[in-house]
Amino acid sequence: MDGESAAKDKEGFLGSGAGRFLAMNWALCFLALMLVIFSLTGQNFLSINNFQNVVHLQTVPFLLASAETFVIITGGIDLSVGFVMGLASVFAAKLIQVFLASGMGVDAAILLSVLIALAASVIPGLVSGFVITRFKVPPFIATLGMWGIANGLALKISQGYPMAGLPDKLPGIGNGYLLYVLPGRFVSFFAKPDGFPDSRIRELWRLVPFSLPFIIAALFALAFALKRGSFGRHTYAIGGSMDASIRSGINVDAHLVKIYVLSSFLSGLAGVFNVFQTGIGNYTTFNAQYEFFAVAAVVVGGASLAGGKGRIWSSAVGVLVLAFLENGLALSGVLPFYRYIAVGVLLVVAVVIDKLFPDVR
Amino acid sequence: MSDNNAKGAVAPAGSGRGISSFLRSRWILVFLVLESIFFCFRSEGFSNLNTVQMLLYYGVLVFLLSVAELFVIVTGGIDLSLGYVLGFASIVSIKIIERLTAAGLDPGLSLLVGVAVTLLIGLLPGLVNGALVAYLNVPPFIATFSMLGVCHGISELVINGVYAMGLPKLASDIGAGHFLYVVPGSSSSSFFQRPEVERGTAVLEIVPNIVVVTAIVVAVFAFVLARTRFGRHVYALGGNMDAAIRAGIPVKRRLLGVYALSSFLASVAGVVYAFMYVSGKADAGASLLLDAIAAVVIGGASMFGGSGTVGRTMVGALIIAVLDMGLRMSGTPTFDKYILVGVILIMAVIMERYIKEAA
Repeated sequence: MDGESAAKDKEGFLGSGAGRFLAMNWALCFLALMLVIFSLTGQNFLSINNFQNVVHLQTVPFLLASAETFVIITGGIDLSVGFVMGLASVFAAKLIQVFLASGMGVDAAILLSVLIALAASVIPGLVSGFVITRFKVPPFIATLGMWGIANGLALKISQGYPMAGLPDKLPGIGNGYLLYVLPGRFVSFFAKPDGFPDSRIRELWRLVPFSLPFIIAALFALAFALKRGSFGRHTYAIGGSMDASIRSGINVDAHLVKIYVLSSFLSGLAGVFNVFQTGIGNYTTFNAQYEFFAVAAVVVGGASLAGGKGRIWSSAVGVLVLAFLENGLALSGVLPFYRYIAVGVLLVVAVVIDKLFPDVR
Repeated sequence: MSDNNAKGAVAPAGSGRGISSFLRSRWILVFLVLESIFFCFRSEGFSNLNTVQMLLYYGVLVFLLSVAELFVIVTGGIDLSLGYVLGFASIVSIKIIERLTAAGLDPGLSLLVGVAVTLLIGLLPGLVNGALVAYLNVPPFIATFSMLGVCHGISELVINGVYAMGLPKLASDIGAGHFLYVVPGSSSSSFFQRPEVERGTAVLEIVPNIVVVTAIVVAVFAFVLARTRFGRHVYALGGNMDAAIRAGIPVKRRLLGVYALSSFLASVAGVVYAFMYVSGKADAGASLLLDAIAAVVIGGASMFGGSGTVGRTMVGALIIAVLDMGLRMSGTPTFDKYILVGVILIMAVIMERYIKEAA
């Protein structure tokens, strides 16, 4: 390590302390820089409303990127996250429809459907994990197969249409806020006060969307799982060296199945959240490319596709970088299509920086 | 892993005992035949010349993309940008041809020039991909995914988020036309031009033009991969990169070539798309990526590189094309296709492994 850092020192700025900090946290620095620039160029960019909206709309990408982080650390990849999410979304919507039709109460129907959909969402991961470990099918292929299977099933359940006609309560919960404040008049928790006219909704401050504590709790739990305890240690170990992990007595196959199950469960959670957010069941379209943006966020966050590297919070920063890039460009009046190009360029930059600092984690 | 590969590659196709070894090396062909027979019984009107032609007609995009993907997969890489390069090329070709015809150029000539220029431009995404992979050591997954985004963005900018349209009628005549027309009973036949006949007279249409074009392109690239020095180098890259370097193969230049070739083929597919559907859109090929990769993998190529042939890839692509057409004709929603392609993809890899271990 001393030798390495000595060698680095010779490289001038890139080897200096500041340079290393920049390289380690370039995504964070880039995010900060972007926030400053867009605050100047973007209309209404620098506002609580906008920031809340961005974070609220990124709940799904946060979950998918976290799922992908676990898989990528083990050196694998999960291409099925986007379509498993769509499958969970239409499945939950279908269950709600069926339960309501059978005369069940709205609350009970929603609760039961969510639980069943979440429980069922581990199945794709179980299958992928089994195929990968038992038959040694490369993760890319196994999850690409699941990509097709989940997409087909979702389309079959929804018959190719978004599934509307769900209770209004769903988007009410999914898009609700903890705090409603009319400056100088009143403060109200969980719901806007009764009888408040919709026409004056813009005067109302809506603070802390329900999704915010939800996603923060989820990210904390996942980061904790990855950092502490044997689960995280084994995950990094498998990504670092599969052979060494086997020799050191880790049950690699069982652990990998767990990883793919976790990934598919998080995708399912994203799908269920999607039902609450939009109020309908959505199958995933081909050009949504959730899986690719999830991988992109993880890579921008500094993980390596070769495995052994990656952190939940870094991936979350990656999600925010991609999100604010889109949001900031849009509010600065740039055509949305530039976003695709910008993400592409950013990804390559991320990898090149990663190559310059191979030992930084 | 490499042991198994080596064994599979070394074992000659005819070794072992009779039928079982025949099946072992050609099980995908057997699967294709069984699948076709199944749909002949299951789907009314499947076993007829017209259906076979339609099946090939709608399969051309996957045929072209899967050959492109094969070259990259043989080197041990992956090209995710193909679908959007296809869309990009479909838009670019239409925009250029539209300009040329608007400038008063003869439709035939403007088609020719437009296609030629598009194919040249179509090399660019691949050259960038190749440069990133070969010279900057960016993983193919990331490099080509970035290119996917860039192509998507540029395409949408060119067409402002809608469709590209405005090809001359000649384009749709070529795209929907056939190679040979025969009027049964009158012994008259004509190439390319639909004969003038009385209304209601049956005209036999034989082989759609774009199937002919696709067959020629595929044959050329099959030759390139199997019989040229470039092809041998491609296998060498995927087999063992270090050995390839030591053997004096210009590894970086070859990688650049492979990615350029891949995006060239995707552009050919894009032009074909434009002629088939007389329109271009950014996500024209978005759903074809699974099919293209699946065709290559079902055809027995390893994702780790070093193996795979154009012939077997075509069998893989035909399995998907037959499945697609068969399901359509039996009235099953096409949703089932995605499920079945996914299942066949995974089964093919398991099968291949089982066969290698048994050999």
